[in-house]
Amino acid sequence: MSIDAGIDVAVRADGLVLRYGRKAALDGVTLTLGTGVTGLLGPNGAGKTTLLRILATALNPDAGSLRVLGHDPRTAPGRLAVRRRLGYLPQDPGFHPGFTAFEFVDYVAILKELTHRGDRHAEVRRVLSAVGLDDQRRTRIRALSGGMRQRVALATALVGDPDLLILDEPTVGLDPQQRMRFRELFADLGEERAVLLSTHQTEDVMSLCRQVVVIDQGTVRFSGTPADLAALAAGRVWTSATREPGALASWRTGTGLHRHVGDPPHGAELLPPTIEDGYLMLVDLSSGGAP
Amino acid sequence: MRRSPAWHLQDSDLHAYAGGGLAGPLLWSVEAHLGACASCRDRLHGCVAQADPQLVEDGWARLDASLDAAVPGPVERLLLLLGVPDHTARLLAATPALRLSWLVAVALTLAMTATIARLADPIVFLAAAPLLPLIGVAVSFGPGIDPTYEMALVAPMQSFRLLLLRCVTVVSANTVLCALASLAVDAGLAAAGWFLPSLALTVLTLLLAPRFGTVIAACAVGVGWACLVAALTGALFTTAGQSGTALAAVLAAAVLARRASAFDTSRFRRIR
Repeated sequence: MSIDAGIDVAVRADGLVLRYGRKAALDGVTLTLGTGVTGLLGPNGAGKTTLLRILATALNPDAGSLRVLGHDPRTAPGRLAVRRRLGYLPQDPGFHPGFTAFEFVDYVAILKELTHRGDRHAEVRRVLSAVGLDDQRRTRIRALSGGMRQRVALATALVGDPDLLILDEPTVGLDPQQRMRFRELFADLGEERAVLLSTHQTEDVMSLCRQVVVIDQGTVRFSGTPADLAALAAGRVWTSATREPGALASWRTGTGLHRHVGDPPHGAELLPPTIEDGYLMLVDLSSGGAP
Repeated sequence: MRRSPAWHLQDSDLHAYAGGGLAGPLLWSVEAHLGACASCRDRLHGCVAQADPQLVEDGWARLDASLDAAVPGPVERLLLLLGVPDHTARLLAATPALRLSWLVAVALTLAMTATIARLADPIVFLAAAPLLPLIGVAVSFGPGIDPTYEMALVAPMQSFRLLLLRCVTVVSANTVLCALASLAVDAGLAAAGWFLPSLALTVLTLLLAPRFGTVIAACAVGVGWACLVAALTGALFTTAGQSGTALAAVLAAAVLARRASAFDTSRFRRIR
């Protein structure tokens, strides 16, 4: 892997706490990330973005221990060392709309210390090509669609070929075709790097993540493979012709039958679980106070 | 019709030219000849084919890159003309307070203030001029102000350096405009009394920015300045008053230099 020899763990966090006033946004998050794509799932307000901001060195945690790429981001030299090898896509990336796509990525490349003009421009063209924006290089940001802007933002995260990529909802606003393209790109990137992406798309997680972490109310509820997450709902997904008020989650599918997640009644027709079923069980169980 | 010259380039010169190994007068002479001589251009074609393919590749890449780079805006062009490196000019081009429209607004405000000062009292100009760079600095950096704040925050380039770069340029641009406007205020050397306060207020704003954000910091400092002017009136612009302002600026700058790392991470829940 491209992460330094001897460091096969990109992120090691133990007991991370971050408070906004009296509310704990993160309440003891423990996490280990290695090479490959890791998906971060959780409801809105669960603390996903706060966690990603801490790992991306934008925020300092109030308590807990943290190593990112072998460095402590709470010290100035450690922070700089991490930032030199980090690619970060914020949740709601901002732009200077008067810049062209090329100029904007060029601007971020300068912030990433690429000052030699020729090398920098070559890198800008490489990353714009990687996200499929070869033909839009000279288009002003204000004239680009939402999906294209998202691709420009992703291109800025790829500048400098970072060892750790932290992507906060990278596939939001993309159509299915673009999402598929992004998945391919993330899978390629994850072969040699650690990629952590937060998403609400369970299909994204199923199709490309090696590891999945579920976070809710500021703590980690699950960490394992997507198959393990789906297995949490094994024997607890069933179908019937009618509603089941006792199920944790229940909805009518396109076939007219109802699909339920929870404790099935005797003799129910069981279905193979998906990771969405496993996720629903975790989040419902935790917020409902069940064991 | 252009006639072919009577002489031709030597093979060694053509090979050297194709390999990028010529300099000075010989390079210019070879280029001038190639422009006029089709037969030498044909021979050059053969030389390029034999030359290092990487060289040709690099040449295309350079050409392509220069085609990508859109024509920079007026402020960026001016900075490049003034000898600012291209990467610094690009960083500064994203500063709202350096846009042409902003600078025109500042110039108009100054012209108006200078006119009022001329008709009423020079102190109007001296009190108002230092507030303009303050507003410029307030809109140059910070969460909710710079759309790329979060990207810049986690980039290896120190946020404090980016902030200083922008502030120095904003204050310089404002200083030039204020200096021109003070010529219209009929008060002799005393018309330059805005300069030290504008430095002191800007540095104070930067000092408070990591805790309160640039906008709140600038507002607080601006209100503080207005109260001070109202309380002390002309005393601020005497030699003693100016010395006190200079001392405050130096002290605030010394503290700011020690607090550079405060800009390194965000303290705000809402980063954008």
